[in-house]
Amino acid sequence: MKQLETDVVVIAAGLSGLAAAVSAAENGARVICLEKASNTGGAANMGMGPCAAGSPVQKMSGITLTPGELFRRHMFYTHYQVDAKLVKAYYDKSGDTIQWLMDMGVQFNSVRPAFRAGERTKAYADGEYTWHVVQPEDGSEPGPRAATTMTKRMTERAQDLGVEFLLETPGTGLITNEEGAVCGARAKDKSGEEIEISCKAVIVATGGFGHNVQMIHDLIGLDWGKNLFSFAIPGMDGDGFNMCHEVGGGHTPVTMEMMYQLPDNMNHFYVEGAFRQPCYWCNRLGERFMPEDEVFNTTFVGNAINHLPGKVGFAVFDANMLKRWKRQGPDIVSHVHPHDLYEGFEAQWNADLETYKDDEGNPYIAQADTLEELAEKLGINVEGFVAAVEEYNAMCADGFDALFEKDRQFMIPLEEGPFYGCKQFMGAYGTLGGVLVNHKLEVMTDEYETIPGLYCVGTDACTIYGDSYNFCIPGNTMGFCLNSGRIAGENAAMLAFGGGEDGDWDDDWDDGADDDWD
Amino acid sequence: MKLMIDGRTIEAEEGQSILRACLSAGIFLPHLCGHPDLEPLGGCGLCMVEVEGEAEPVRACMTEAQEGMKISINGERADKVRRMAMELILATHPADCTGCPKYGVCELQSMYQYMGVSPQRWRCKGRTVPTDDSNPIITHMFTRCIRCGRCVRACEGLRGVGAIGFARGEDGAMRVTIKGNSLQEAGCRFCGACVEVCPTGSIVDALGMMRDDRSREDNVVPCRSGCPAHIDIPRYLRYVKAGEWEKATAVVREKVPFPETLGSICTHNCQGECKRNHLQEPLSICRLKRAAAVRDTGEWKERVRHEPLSGKRVAVVGAGPGGLTAALFLAEKGHRVTVFEANAKVGGQMRYGIPAYRLPDAVVDKEVATILEISQGSDPEPRIELVCNERVKDVAALLGQGFDAVLVTVGTFKGNVLPMPGHDLKNVYVNTEFLKAARVGNPQPVEGGRVVVLGGGNVAYDCARTAVRLGAASVDVACLEAEAAMTSTPEERDEAAEEGVVLHDAYAFTSINDDGAGKVGSITIHKIARFYFDEDHRAVTELVEGGELTLPADYVIFGVGQKPEDTMGFDLELTHGPYVVTNDELATSVEGIFAAGDVVTGTKSVIAAIAQGREAASSIDRFLGGDGDISAELLDYEEPQKELGKAAEDFYSKAVLPQFTPGDERKRGFEPFECPFTEDEARCEAARCLQCDLRLGITKPLLWNEY
Repeated sequence: MKQLETDVVVIAAGLSGLAAAVSAAENGARVICLEKASNTGGAANMGMGPCAAGSPVQKMSGITLTPGELFRRHMFYTHYQVDAKLVKAYYDKSGDTIQWLMDMGVQFNSVRPAFRAGERTKAYADGEYTWHVVQPEDGSEPGPRAATTMTKRMTERAQDLGVEFLLETPGTGLITNEEGAVCGARAKDKSGEEIEISCKAVIVATGGFGHNVQMIHDLIGLDWGKNLFSFAIPGMDGDGFNMCHEVGGGHTPVTMEMMYQLPDNMNHFYVEGAFRQPCYWCNRLGERFMPEDEVFNTTFVGNAINHLPGKVGFAVFDANMLKRWKRQGPDIVSHVHPHDLYEGFEAQWNADLETYKDDEGNPYIAQADTLEELAEKLGINVEGFVAAVEEYNAMCADGFDALFEKDRQFMIPLEEGPFYGCKQFMGAYGTLGGVLVNHKLEVMTDEYETIPGLYCVGTDACTIYGDSYNFCIPGNTMGFCLNSGRIAGENAAMLAFGGGEDGDWDDDWDDGADDDWD
Repeated sequence: MKLMIDGRTIEAEEGQSILRACLSAGIFLPHLCGHPDLEPLGGCGLCMVEVEGEAEPVRACMTEAQEGMKISINGERADKVRRMAMELILATHPADCTGCPKYGVCELQSMYQYMGVSPQRWRCKGRTVPTDDSNPIITHMFTRCIRCGRCVRACEGLRGVGAIGFARGEDGAMRVTIKGNSLQEAGCRFCGACVEVCPTGSIVDALGMMRDDRSREDNVVPCRSGCPAHIDIPRYLRYVKAGEWEKATAVVREKVPFPETLGSICTHNCQGECKRNHLQEPLSICRLKRAAAVRDTGEWKERVRHEPLSGKRVAVVGAGPGGLTAALFLAEKGHRVTVFEANAKVGGQMRYGIPAYRLPDAVVDKEVATILEISQGSDPEPRIELVCNERVKDVAALLGQGFDAVLVTVGTFKGNVLPMPGHDLKNVYVNTEFLKAARVGNPQPVEGGRVVVLGGGNVAYDCARTAVRLGAASVDVACLEAEAAMTSTPEERDEAAEEGVVLHDAYAFTSINDDGAGKVGSITIHKIARFYFDEDHRAVTELVEGGELTLPADYVIFGVGQKPEDTMGFDLELTHGPYVVTNDELATSVEGIFAAGDVVTGTKSVIAAIAQGREAASSIDRFLGGDGDISAELLDYEEPQKELGKAAEDFYSKAVLPQFTPGDERKRGFEPFECPFTEDEARCEAARCLQCDLRLGITKPLLWNEY
């Protein structure tokens, strides 16, 4: 067993852990950062950028959105089912965090919304310009993984500040003293050697349990690989979630930020992308379940599928639609799937037709010359499907969707074979929440008493969404990770220097302290 | 020689490439196809640098460092080529990493984090290759392949196998493929070098091979981690393959003092972990250990640790495998040890439990004699004293009799009797007594009688097969578990069946019935659908209606577990009845008294007891002021041959079997019936080893964040 000593231990070097480590170190603390993987950045390495309000980038772009406005919007969306003080603390910090990142050398390409709602839904469903998309190092247009440039800068900054990274060394537990305060952490290095680190504060930042099938089953009630195909990033096994609860950390509801996807989508990317269009979407009875002009909103579709029989949806288009998309490009342009995906569609589709099946041999995709045959192959009720399509085609001819008032321009009938169909399942990025924290990211017991020396940040502490990810405020998960990490890092450093007694670091520092400290 | 990198002067060795020179000077330079253990290829184009005086940027991996070279890593021209190279790599790699098992430990991921190359400039090409999980141990997800060729060079250059190579696909694109319809057809050695060097998730360990609860090393070499004493199995199997019996035994002896005993009777958890379970059959590790041990000449003896006498004395209570192992390692550390044994001879279960046809006395005698010999070494006096026929009733009293520490290794010698009707009839026997009586030549009578053994573990089978050899007319075994769940090894059941033992699995025991004269007359058992333990840990059985069966019987033997005797009087903290409580260091509730083996863990195995004996020796040495280091180096380390060559046809064959005495013949006596492997058999079997440990010798390239 190896014994180490430091001021602050950060468990995991994903986005929230990096933010925590950098901010604790900037505030003078000696920091050891444990990380299970060999790369830093965690799930953020897949992303493009964080959410913020009131940032210099927004101001430069004439986007006047304030933290207060965003806070109201957020609370309206969540019906006040979440901790208002935590939400406000996050948004208040967010603009400055962008500056903080820029000071580290992170450049932002632009601030974007995730989508712009159509005219008819604009009033209540428009996307906000909050998504600070990171400028890739080479100066090119950002896409998925653009945020790696940010995690790199943060890693370099942490290294410059003397943060000691222990890679491939997962945290395994917390150490408490007689008063119940957290005073250390345990870890295991890649050779299996145990490490005990005594410290003044621990910041848990391990990113949920999206990779732990058993916990997903037990706590979310979904079965990975059957009705859920969420991101399963190796290592996200609920380590920190369990660690916090083992020392008395309180509980909150746990959710997953639902979306939708095809199984093993990475190997079937073109097929998946091709169906993310406002064509014909139905349940296994053949009936439509939402206006398809909203399928860009992955949260809404994921939630809708969750409430369908068998938790499965179906997307169907015909030869005419395919021809049109090939000619004009997709109706809904995705920032994830390639824009020219229809060029590669047929090669992948034909290769997949025979092989893309579940464990029991049922196909995920099908092609057929008639609607009946397609329904048969995919397991949709044939009569129901044929009747519903007939009704839909009639509405297309009328130019009006009497069922859901789908945007007229997408009212295109299913007429000409071959017909293409696929199953759509719930997906998710990971898990959210589970550990009860206050607005300083201190972990609290179920009695709302803080556990001294323990902070939880990032997705395990991200209880601010309520039941659904707010797709209208994009960049939110990264935004919360960054800002929760940063707030906790500051508070932990303060605690390490004996300043955390009354815990007013966050509130009073800016207001009254200047004169005394100058 | 000296060269200058971005204004910084560094040292380089003659003949070193610029890339190696930079990396060894602690300067990071992007690279993917380059690997410290592989010949450079110059394929990825990421290590571009500008050399003063050269018109074009050069590949650092392919360019030899020259005295006085002035090099710029981030010059505009080099950077441009490098970025283009990265874009080309990423253009065919899936953009979405979230389903990839390498997420977080992927070199490509680290590289694009470092370089920040955006995907939007690439023209993505659909290049899907179906995941191939048809091969054992290794899964191919060539969709993620970036054609760096590391795997090809590792397989060909490092291992001399050449099971994979570059080929053009139907679309004309170059890709890595298996040279044949399967890895086996391609002559793959399943050494895992390709998995180890793959910088992405293209070639990975098959699902389930790597367990989260084990360290990387334990996952890569599961046999070694599966052995309770962590014997370096791949290392000694290489010596067996080479016919170097002496060295093979020395490797085993570095951890355990009973190689031949273990080679005869070990429960061989290692074989259950062997990766060849997924490829024909596991290695016969246990038998190979015996093959080496019987040919050992003892040259390793001069290298046994022999520290000066410490002046401390340790009492060991119980001379079984755990106690004797601890005694040896304590003596090596310089302590004098007295081993007290209640029986007439030492050996514990090795002598009084395990039947002679599996482990004859001569083997135990020989290995005990070796322990005494090597522990004495050149001393005039022996360091270990064996005191037999001495049952210690008060272990704490030993501390007052000149002993500085006491180790309790009394094992589990009291057989369990179930409180079922008829359990106290005449001719009802108990496993431990029955086996011991047979072993000391004074067997409990079963000759000519019908015997029913209750229990499904290896000890029950020892009783059954002993009864066969004592001349029982018939022997039946009945147990609660269904056959698949029985704890006895399948070999044990098969061999017993060959000797005529009949199994009744999944039966509850109803009653032992009186013959009218106070003796066993028959036994009634009842078929069950299943059994389980309720919340109070009580066994619950679900009977099958009409499943009652009465077997005529003259003798019934309980083979349903055993427990420690004597411990109730030891004044130590106990648990679950008679078992001694210890902490992580194997210390009991009384300072200075330690305990190890079955008396702590419950009845396990000889190898588990030996492993505990080692731990106890280390703990006691520390308690006595020593450093607790009982490691041994009984032979010089030799670098294993890294080149394996293409697998020969017979590499994929099933395990080699030794010669056995046929069932009919062997059941007449207690002679061992399994011959040790012949030299040829042993070498041939050992050659089947995948040498998983070679993979640990491959250097792991450092990522940018580690510079």
